[in-house]
Amino acid sequence: MQVTETKSEGLRREYAVVIGAAEIDAKVVDKLQNNRETFAMKGFRKGKAPLAVMRKMFGKSLLGETVQELVDGAVKDLVARHEMRPAMQPDVRITTANFQEGDDLTLEVAMELLPEIPEVDYADVALERLVVEAPESEVEEALNKIAESSATYAPREEGAVSETKDQLSIDFAGKIDGVAFEGGTAEDFPLVLGSGQFIPGFEDQLLGKKAGEEVAVKVTFPENYGAQNLAGKEAVFDVVVKEVRAPAKAELNDELAKKFGAADLAELRARVAERVKAEYDSASRAHVKRRLLDALDEKVSFELPPTMVRVEADSIAHQLWHEEHPEEHGHNHGSIEPTDEHKKIAERRVRLGLLLAQIGTVNQIAVSEQELNQAIFQQARQYPGQEREFFQWVRGNQNALNQVQAPIFEDKVVDFILGKAKITDKTVSKEELEKALAELEEAEL
Amino acid sequence: MSVKPEHYDVLRRPIVTEKSTMASEHNAVVFEVAIDANKPQIKEAVEALFKVEVAKVNTLVTKGKKKLFRGRPGRRSDVKKAIVTLREGHAIDVTTGL
Repeated sequence: MQVTETKSEGLRREYAVVIGAAEIDAKVVDKLQNNRETFAMKGFRKGKAPLAVMRKMFGKSLLGETVQELVDGAVKDLVARHEMRPAMQPDVRITTANFQEGDDLTLEVAMELLPEIPEVDYADVALERLVVEAPESEVEEALNKIAESSATYAPREEGAVSETKDQLSIDFAGKIDGVAFEGGTAEDFPLVLGSGQFIPGFEDQLLGKKAGEEVAVKVTFPENYGAQNLAGKEAVFDVVVKEVRAPAKAELNDELAKKFGAADLAELRARVAERVKAEYDSASRAHVKRRLLDALDEKVSFELPPTMVRVEADSIAHQLWHEEHPEEHGHNHGSIEPTDEHKKIAERRVRLGLLLAQIGTVNQIAVSEQELNQAIFQQARQYPGQEREFFQWVRGNQNALNQVQAPIFEDKVVDFILGKAKITDKTVSKEELEKALAELEEAEL
Repeated sequence: MSVKPEHYDVLRRPIVTEKSTMASEHNAVVFEVAIDANKPQIKEAVEALFKVEVAKVNTLVTKGKKKLFRGRPGRRSDVKKAIVTLREGHAIDVTTGL
């Protein structure tokens, strides 16, 4: 194998590689030899078929395979010998026209290298972390919500009319043009008025009714209703109100707490407080992370592999285009040109991605098997009933695995840098944090 | 020597087996030939079709086996084989076909 460097410009390298005919031939013979042992042919005992005959039979197909292997091997060898770190899969082109047995194989290998990434001194990255004390009122509010959601309903006295928030027990039969439709009938259905559970207008017409009353509810299904055959149609529901029940707010006491798995009310309160705090913490973390990335982005600069940036920009443009055109799902739209803005975002992403990866490698930050499994399980929960399949699918699919791994890795690296950087805590109010986050969001776009 | 149609009738097919491969070490090729072909005919046919020079031809007839077909005795056809030794410096690639 002969290698000559034809281009070395910035991060781009191009090589011309010649693989000799003899080298290819030797490889083919080697392969035949390996299979000969087990190969049985008419007229010969197993393993006794002459190489020449085997070659006649399989030489053609083996040649393709061998060339493929040699090309892969040559590229790998090239990368290893020069100790290069390619940014992407090297681009290999076979330049021999009409390659045939006995020809030399010439290749053109083009690739982009990962840039040298300068060391970053995290110590002079100074950041401000916004800390929010979870206000007592919010905890109280959350507790009240819990109480409300576990409200019980007690039947109202005879003849009382229904009010908002009351629960009605109803039988109903829906008809369109006098014909009952599927899923439009139920008996003893518990409906909370004002819950918005049914299509708009339905619940309003049941206000002020007594138990035992029969009502014909006229509604129009909304245009964007889930079931297409019903959308936009007018329907009449024959409703029988069987019972009217008034809500009784559950009291905040130890009993309620027990219902939610806490020992007593104090523990429930503590738990709710913790949850509220966790929400603020994650918001504050998101904020400080963005700030950190901004700071790193400003601090370092190095040459970026153009292909990586282009691919990233394309994917950003593509994604945004789909967000703007939600009605298009397939891929049968024309190519989408990324704008300068997309390119800028892409550059930032690539730069930070490379930097974080580098910091991670240098400091030996790795995602442990356990963390990985945990993350996969969390995602698997989105597919109830198929957790096992999902898990195995991810496990067996390198791409999917990377997608799970990447955010964990990023988080760990960010944690690492945060541990080194100068961080000052600043207590702010909830509104201020929200404002800061919104500002960052703006800056993103 | 020019190729005549009857040459194709003489040589049926090459025999490619382990044993025939052994023969090739002595610069010989094995053919299945017409049962009524004789050595001079075989020599002529091989020389004409493969453009080689033949040193000698040995022939043999393998008798067909006796078999029962639906309970009645029958016989498989006999087969004549020819071991054709070529002059030094000549070769035939048997797998290429006629």
